[in-house]
Amino acid sequence: MQPVYFRSLAIDITVGDHVTTKVFGLTLDLDIIWATVIAGLVVILLGMIMRAKLTSGVPGKFQLAWEMAVEAVQGQVNDTIGPRGAKVVPLALTLFVFIFTCNLFEVLGIGSKIDFLPAPTSDINLPLAMALYVIIMVHRAAIKNRGIGGYVKHYFNRPFPPKLFLINGFMNVVDELVKPVTLTLRLFGNLFAGGLMLSLLAALVAWKLSVVPIGGILSLPFTIVWKLFDMAIGAIQAFIFALLTILYFDSAMAPDTH
Amino acid sequence: MADSSMADAVKTAGAFVGAGLALGGGAVGASIGDGLAGSQTIAGIARQPEAQSRLMTIMFLTVGLCEAAYFINLVFAALFVFALK
Repeated sequence: MQPVYFRSLAIDITVGDHVTTKVFGLTLDLDIIWATVIAGLVVILLGMIMRAKLTSGVPGKFQLAWEMAVEAVQGQVNDTIGPRGAKVVPLALTLFVFIFTCNLFEVLGIGSKIDFLPAPTSDINLPLAMALYVIIMVHRAAIKNRGIGGYVKHYFNRPFPPKLFLINGFMNVVDELVKPVTLTLRLFGNLFAGGLMLSLLAALVAWKLSVVPIGGILSLPFTIVWKLFDMAIGAIQAFIFALLTILYFDSAMAPDTH
Repeated sequence: MADSSMADAVKTAGAFVGAGLALGGGAVGASIGDGLAGSQTIAGIARQPEAQSRLMTIMFLTVGLCEAAYFINLVFAALFVFALK
């Protein structure tokens, strides 16, 4: 017996389809670009509104939300890096708010072949760009903190005693190379999986038992539940990205203890 | 002709088996990690109930990190099934 619904599920779903254009041989995903711009504008607008409504008196709900976010990031930075890390707060806060806004775009998707307002973080280019920026800034902070010599030396004298400097160097280089990759793939994978799940739930509609559209009945509640769960995932992933940024800066800014 | 369809069949089968292994292995690892994080959080809260809010933050972070490994695997599984098939 041929399970027809499986075939229709497997055939209908494609991934990585975008509205594209070619510029000098580079393929640009236009939908990702305009979604990124819109997310950026939303974040800037939120900041502008905050600036206009700023009061030192009784704060409104809007100001309270911003203050909570800023205080959460400041508290986190203070706990891990200490007062030295004050410079990291704006970067971490911006990353958190921007990624969170981007992730919320996932709620608008319906799992069609091309969503015209996809979550920008569900394409690998935006997470990769953000991760590379963070990692380059972390290395810059490390060089500033330890000097070039100390920076190079730092690769060879931990985690084992300096006698085993070859093993130390190998482990640390691999560690540093893996950091941007995991930072990228973690965010991208979560959001991409969210979109894929939406496509699967949309494809579920094709499942029928003779005349009963059982897939159609199941698809709607599952989609609603999944989107609620996905919003939580988006918030957690934005939080993790910001937190890992802080932790990487912490290891770069830590004074040498040997 | 028969050769090329055979090669295609082998490729498709390989893609599906690879995707299945990636998903299954990732799920096992992520579940074990989530379970460890959750059980240790419960133990910590039972020991020291006032630390709950601090422990919850760290637990969500750990769970997110564990889940991330699985989602990375899911991306590779999708790559196998949709792109390399």
